[in-house]
Amino acid sequence: MALNADDEILQDFMVEAGEILEQLNEQLVELERSPDDHDLLNAVFRGFHTIKGGAGFLGLNNMVDVCHRSEDVFNLLRNGEKQVTPQLMDTVLPVLDVLNAQFEQLRAAEEPDPAPAELLQGLEALAHPDAAQPAAAAAPAASAPEPVAAPEPEPVPIAAPPAAIPPAAVASMVEGEMGDITDEEFEALLDALENPSAAPAAAPASSGEDITEEEFEALLDELHGKGQFKAPAAEPAAPEAPAAAAGGEDITEAEFEALLDELHGKGKFKAPASDAVAAAPAAPPPPPTPKPAPAPAAAVAKPAATPAAAAEPAGDKAAAAQAETTVRVDTKRLDDIMNMVGELVLVRNRIATLAHVGDINQAREEMIKAVANLDVVTGDLQTSVMKTRMQPIKKVFGRFPRVVRDLARNLKKEVNLVMQGEETDLDKNLVEALADPMVHLVRNAVDHGVEMPDVREKAGKPRQGTLLLAAEQEGDHILLIIEDDGAGMDPEVLRRKAVEKGMMDADAAARLDDKEAFNLIFAAGFSTKTEISDVSGRGVGMDVVKTRIAQLNGSVDISSHKGKGTRLSIKVPLTLAIMPTLMIKLREQTFALPLVSVNEIFHLDLTKTNVVDGQLVVMVRGKALPLYYLTRWMVAGCRGVPLPETGHVVVVHIGTQLVGFVVDYLIGQEEVVIKPLGSMLHGTPGLAGATITGDGKIALILDVPGLMKAYGRRQA
Amino acid sequence: MPVRVLIVDDSGFFRRRMTEMLNADPRLEVVGTANDGAQAVEQVSKLRPDVVTMDIEMPVMDGIAATRRIMATTPTPILMFSSLTTDGAKATLDALDAGAVDYLPKKFEDISRDQDEAKRQLCERVYAIGSNKRAARPQRPAPAAPTAAARPAAAPAAAVRPANGTMPPARRGQYRLVAIGTSTGGPVALQQVLTKLPGNFPLPLVLIQHMPGSFTPAFAQRLNQQCAIEVREAKDGDELKPGLALLAPGGKQMVLDQRAGRTTVRITESEPGQNYKPSVDVTFTSVARIFPGQALAVVLTGMGADGREGARLMKQGGSSVWAQDEASCVVYGMPAAIVDAGLADAVLPLSDIGMAISQRV
Repeated sequence: MALNADDEILQDFMVEAGEILEQLNEQLVELERSPDDHDLLNAVFRGFHTIKGGAGFLGLNNMVDVCHRSEDVFNLLRNGEKQVTPQLMDTVLPVLDVLNAQFEQLRAAEEPDPAPAELLQGLEALAHPDAAQPAAAAAPAASAPEPVAAPEPEPVPIAAPPAAIPPAAVASMVEGEMGDITDEEFEALLDALENPSAAPAAAPASSGEDITEEEFEALLDELHGKGQFKAPAAEPAAPEAPAAAAGGEDITEAEFEALLDELHGKGKFKAPASDAVAAAPAAPPPPPTPKPAPAPAAAVAKPAATPAAAAEPAGDKAAAAQAETTVRVDTKRLDDIMNMVGELVLVRNRIATLAHVGDINQAREEMIKAVANLDVVTGDLQTSVMKTRMQPIKKVFGRFPRVVRDLARNLKKEVNLVMQGEETDLDKNLVEALADPMVHLVRNAVDHGVEMPDVREKAGKPRQGTLLLAAEQEGDHILLIIEDDGAGMDPEVLRRKAVEKGMMDADAAARLDDKEAFNLIFAAGFSTKTEISDVSGRGVGMDVVKTRIAQLNGSVDISSHKGKGTRLSIKVPLTLAIMPTLMIKLREQTFALPLVSVNEIFHLDLTKTNVVDGQLVVMVRGKALPLYYLTRWMVAGCRGVPLPETGHVVVVHIGTQLVGFVVDYLIGQEEVVIKPLGSMLHGTPGLAGATITGDGKIALILDVPGLMKAYGRRQA
Repeated sequence: MPVRVLIVDDSGFFRRRMTEMLNADPRLEVVGTANDGAQAVEQVSKLRPDVVTMDIEMPVMDGIAATRRIMATTPTPILMFSSLTTDGAKATLDALDAGAVDYLPKKFEDISRDQDEAKRQLCERVYAIGSNKRAARPQRPAPAAPTAAARPAAAPAAAVRPANGTMPPARRGQYRLVAIGTSTGGPVALQQVLTKLPGNFPLPLVLIQHMPGSFTPAFAQRLNQQCAIEVREAKDGDELKPGLALLAPGGKQMVLDQRAGRTTVRITESEPGQNYKPSVDVTFTSVARIFPGQALAVVLTGMGADGREGARLMKQGGSSVWAQDEASCVVYGMPAAIVDAGLADAVLPLSDIGMAISQRV
């Protein structure tokens, strides 16, 4: 069947099924928490049923297949013939990923691919345990590999119970996916290498921590040096591999090749013992997987991530592909808008008649009235139209239960996710743009924030960590909070690390207050993970998160108490299209500074400045404030011209750092509509866009962090 | 005036598609939609549609409960949309029990490979059911054990086209088989007929109900539970036995075979060109061959004219043919074909057919 993405019917289906998919995401995670909730089971069943119905209508048989099997599984569940177990969820949750992938294809007007056979088999086995049994019996040779040295033996290895996937299927899954093992397993492998006897004990303890690149190198060296790598450790990895395998490929072929070369070249990697039975096909590849090591759990966590959360370079593309082209708007809202447009027409008519008013004074009076009216109408219209673009933050939040669930399960942590203010509305573009950074922060919180249950117990905390996700509107801003009750951050450690990394000298580090120290995590190159994050599918590094949020004219604030937890507050404007700014003038040119960055304005006698360490500064309330002349940066031919005696200083902040910009004139506050820069100027550092001012001239909108990056280091 | 339709489905996508398709037919008009069973009950009493298309799986109140509720308060012909699965069969039969008239597969591909053909059939079905006010059947068939209440034998009627309700002549001892064919409305009609037969019914029966293959096992099982006689889905090689009714499996054809004194059924794949699977004509034709003049053909409610040619052959051989009367039919199609062809020995209301069979064979 030929697909046409513009087909109204297809669009209609995608809107509805897309919403159901989002709900399913939440419902399935919720289900794991309350497995006996009959209504919930029914709702999930209906969800699959409805998607199946629509897909069937459109003849999308590959979607029907996977929905149909899921429906069967949930039919058993809702009839009480089966119980919801984490193992079952491990089989069912990837269904959503498959459906999501099929959706992406639909959006691109492609016929969806069939679901992976192993997934269908897995579902089939769940839905018809009897049918699966003979298959299991028929493959006695491939008996479930015993997790001998398993770091954390699963209570039920996937291949074991009759209800689970037959070993043959497991083997084929493993084979098919060539060496996707989870990071945890890999860590276990590494641990086993380091200290084989301590492996089982060591793994749980270490899985919560990061292995830095150096440590990883060291381990690799050790591996090469000893060359004693043996299969047994790999064996336990196999039974779990299918869970990860379903998620798709995590490393590219090229990387894989490179790794293989590396290993073969340097190490004396020994092929696994042949007694690995079912694990055998899987065993050779595991060693090359070392890559993801510094990012625990990434491989498994990946299925959780929506396509947009995939590797950073691909991120933009994925986001673009994912961006929805439709918005649902309440008809009442549309009626309101129509009403206001009507009023707008009336105002225009009024102004048009003014031309015929003979008396100039009367005309002026009329004009003032009409403009006042116009002001009200456009204001209302602006708000209403903006509201049509508003979407509940739930769209972003909706994916978190699954992300947290998968990650926590993988890290063997217990995390309770609390979400507040899901109904908070914000601009559609923002919702989409926030998704990636939020996912990263939430993962970080689960990964690094929340401790292992045992550790928490020792610290006198409940075993289950709590992760709070909250959203609320604060004036023209949205405040997002990600708060965990985990280990918190130690400013001392951060300072030390900054010095170790050569980012600053010990003195400078010591001068940082705690907040500044916390902000170090956003510095580029501070996180050890940024480099390999792409591979592990981890998403973006902290500095990228910060940049992204800054691009949205937002800010991130971080506070942490050691042992108590960490709280990240993200502030973003309600919309990206209209921005409150401070209009300034440099010589004869008008510029707009985003008001979010502006702290205060004062008039200054510029003769009272000092130069410290080559930097012009002014003392403000006992603190030295670096001072820059915007004129020198932004106006042609002004570099090095003599300084004026007095000037206006606009104090802006970049993160926690304050700097002063000297400007010629201040015009005032104005809401501006952001227009993208033309191709000539596009990408000019320090410029966020342009706008048209009240008098019809063009003003450039400055991008403060960009400005500092581009010009701050060079001295004017 | 067009037939007024109410669409009940929890999927907006499906509601819109259905609305488009049905409204495209000038004989039909969608007067409303409902998102769940509770809304459906409300809408039916408010809008009084001629026919309701009903989904089974819905939040708040499912389609079966809603059907029950609607039939209790404002009896309206209901067409169920179901999935052609084994579970779907169970739910669909429940819905039919609750008073729904007929069902259609939710996946239109199952109706026909050709989308336009599927749409046409859908409209046809909705129209057929909606244009027949009698299709709504407030009275529920009593699944109780058949009563053997004595009923005075009616005067023999020799007319070629007997008047409605005239009892056919008793031909006790002359029959060796009863063959019943039906389509739309058949599941309920069959149940009503078969439950009236006593457990010691002296003849074998063959039943042909137009139904997909995934439904017939559940349907046979259900009939078996409700009836005193034994009902099974026929398997290839099953022998005909007194008191045993063999239901032709969906998607296949069932013919009789006589060898060495044993009469068995053969289940065969459908040949191209056979529109109905199973086909009443196919089975009736084989009955005419094996039991010339010794069988009773009963044609119950259903669309189309399947069974007419088979019944003609049976009639030519001397067998009897009965048809359900128009008033009690959900769709007076197949029985009408029999009557119009002048083949009917008797035309009976549904409520009398079971009794008539048990008394007159």
